[in-house]
Amino acid sequence: MKKIFAIAWKDAIVRFGSVSELLFFIVLPLLFTYLLAGGTPSGEEDPRIALLVADEANTAISQQMIGELETSTAVRPEVVSRDEAQSLFDDRRADVVLLIPAGLDLASIQSGSAEVELLQQPNNMNATVAERAVSTAIRRVSSAISAAGNAVQQRESIEPFASEAERQSYFEASLERARTIQQEAPERVTVIEGITEDQVEYDPRANTSAGQLITWVFIPLFGISALFAYERQQGTLRRLLTTPATKATFLLGTITGQVAMALVQMLLLVGFGILVMKLGWGREPLALFVILLTSALAAAAFGTTMGTFIKSEGQASGLSVMFGMVFALMGGCWYPLELFPPAIQNAVKVLPTTWAMQGMLDLVLRGGGLLDILPEAAVLLGFAAIFFSLGVWRFRYE
Amino acid sequence: MKKLFLIGIKDLKLIFRDRAALVFMLLAPFLLTIGMGFVTGRFSGSSSGLSDIPVVIVNLDNEQLGNALADVFSSEELADLMEPTASSDIEAARRLIDEDEAAAAVIIPEGFTLSIIPAEGTSFGESFVQPEPVKIEVYTNPSRPLSAGVVKAIVDEFVSRVEEGRIAGMTSISGLIQSGLLDPQNAESEARALFQNGNQIENTAITLRTNREGAEAIEFDILAYMAPGMALLFLMYTVSYGGRSILAERSQGTLPRLLVSPTSAAQVLGGKVLGIFLTGVAQVGILILASTLFFGVEWGDTLGVIILILAAVFGATGWGMLITAFARTQAQIGSLGSALMLIFGILGGSFINLEQMPSMMRTLSRITPNAWGLDGFTTLALGGTLPNLVEPITALLLMGTVLFGIAVVVFNRNGIMQK
Repeated sequence: MKKIFAIAWKDAIVRFGSVSELLFFIVLPLLFTYLLAGGTPSGEEDPRIALLVADEANTAISQQMIGELETSTAVRPEVVSRDEAQSLFDDRRADVVLLIPAGLDLASIQSGSAEVELLQQPNNMNATVAERAVSTAIRRVSSAISAAGNAVQQRESIEPFASEAERQSYFEASLERARTIQQEAPERVTVIEGITEDQVEYDPRANTSAGQLITWVFIPLFGISALFAYERQQGTLRRLLTTPATKATFLLGTITGQVAMALVQMLLLVGFGILVMKLGWGREPLALFVILLTSALAAAAFGTTMGTFIKSEGQASGLSVMFGMVFALMGGCWYPLELFPPAIQNAVKVLPTTWAMQGMLDLVLRGGGLLDILPEAAVLLGFAAIFFSLGVWRFRYE
Repeated sequence: MKKLFLIGIKDLKLIFRDRAALVFMLLAPFLLTIGMGFVTGRFSGSSSGLSDIPVVIVNLDNEQLGNALADVFSSEELADLMEPTASSDIEAARRLIDEDEAAAAVIIPEGFTLSIIPAEGTSFGESFVQPEPVKIEVYTNPSRPLSAGVVKAIVDEFVSRVEEGRIAGMTSISGLIQSGLLDPQNAESEARALFQNGNQIENTAITLRTNREGAEAIEFDILAYMAPGMALLFLMYTVSYGGRSILAERSQGTLPRLLVSPTSAAQVLGGKVLGIFLTGVAQVGILILASTLFFGVEWGDTLGVIILILAAVFGATGWGMLITAFARTQAQIGSLGSALMLIFGILGGSFINLEQMPSMMRTLSRITPNAWGLDGFTTLALGGTLPNLVEPITALLLMGTVLFGIAVVVFNRNGIMQK
């Protein structure tokens, strides 16, 4: 036990021998979590997509359109001048801009010449969503006018109007009626968020917090391979042969030390999530500990196996960062897994990051408890068992 | 000049012989680009990355509108986006969502159609009472917010169209009744006919013109942003790796040997810088070429692309030299280089779009070659040519020159290039 502790302590001293290690241990993980979460507003802020509106018409119709957009669940209209809107759009600082030209009024609608313009950044999901919202708002504004126009046509098909004045009067009365019917229209869709055990509100920052935690903890754990390669290159592993320390003691000491450091790092990041981001990491401490520990063990085991295949420290460092980043991306740690094609979503189940992410989201996003994360924890332990076995079996001092 | 080139080419060869470095310089950005391609839907042909969204349709209405909504989800138009399954059990459908088996359940209750289209024989006289609204329930999965949002948008749009038809019908009918041209007793059949024609009512009162319809509309390939984003991210690793070789030559004694040969310190330093620059150009060039060959990315104006790559690598080389000038050991360069690579990656837009950043961060991003480089690549992908790249190229060249100047001053002060 003393030897295991001594080896773990030695590794900690080696790792933190340079102050710059703190950059990767805590500074950069916090910076990335903060910045990436900054792109996803918290529940208290307005999560709708900003839609710049340049209203050059300033008529009842344009105001009505902006009013409809304000009730949208998808976009948040911000009225600005045309020059400002165009400049922000050109600088790609606005995803989408709605230009309402001068002269948009009832007469232009009746004459069929009314049009508005929507500027959208290419290949931009926000712009696509905003287009739907603008179409809906236009439809709501237009539908009453269309309905009145249709009513006029229906009336004309039965009995022609005596004069243009009578026709216009019928149109205006119909428009009034259509607007009343529209305003009195009941809600016909209700949205219920899936039941989570304690009704946790969806907070996209939870994804960021969990995803960055996994990314920044898995990379150094994969880096155990570099530790082995370094000791092998330096010949210190061979020296161990002359000491009474067994292979098992050395491996256990190295892995225990790295897993312990990973747990400290994870707890610091979880603490940041709880205290700064106000995320619900702390609801089920036991379940949290289980998922953190099993995740760390799975990553450490993978690093151990890598260490038995890789020859130089340089290779190990490069590969651990590459595997760490690719596994994180493909495991849904950077972007929600739902964005991947279904075949890829199934394929990435072979990655430990996928299960770690799933388990952490069960806790922090779905309000799950120990029972909910047991399947993920079991899979991660399975990864750990397989890769530790492989690593120990292939481990060589030279 | 020849010596300068020889030193540069030697360093280029050394780096490309190091398999560990190649993994990081080429394989990692290439794999991450593939991953980004999946996320953005570039490889699946969708515009958002979302496809085959599993949705459960519970149609208990089994009438005209309920069936029409169910048909929308299984329509040809949404075939790639949606993967609907039918169910008649509300609880089972909700369970599928709770168990994360589907993104949302659309529950169309019994009587939905009748709550909108009047039943046969309904009188529109004074005794007419609007039927109680029957609401469609969209039961969403909180862990798949984007997919659930799409399902909700589809239902909203359908209901909006239905409502449009209802308003048109009700307006016409009540107008005709008030004018005495329609008997309230016969209004139901007339309303039904009107409603059924509702889909044919073209709502053209206000035209929405999108810039995609314009002649100048350009299909933007998202990989034309993602691939250089990753290449520029790992370029920072390359330039710091190159910087490390200066200190390595010093500690191994080959640098003093070079300096006692008839080669000036300026030639040695110039050669080292050239080596870093050539490596960076080769790295970004290979990644750009690979993206073209494997993914068919079209980069736009070729001359613009070449000059932009040269300028971006020049700017990044400046940073590499600055780190080298201030670092004392190779390990320090390694740590600082990796840290800078990641910081510049996130600040420069390699991980997330800069638009999502606070305005202060967007300003700060201008110190990174990543932000200027990506700016240039986006301009090219949107159809821009070399004259449109004046700003990013000038900024990158200025960045490289200033940083290189500072590095030379520090090198001289620290005596790194002395015999």
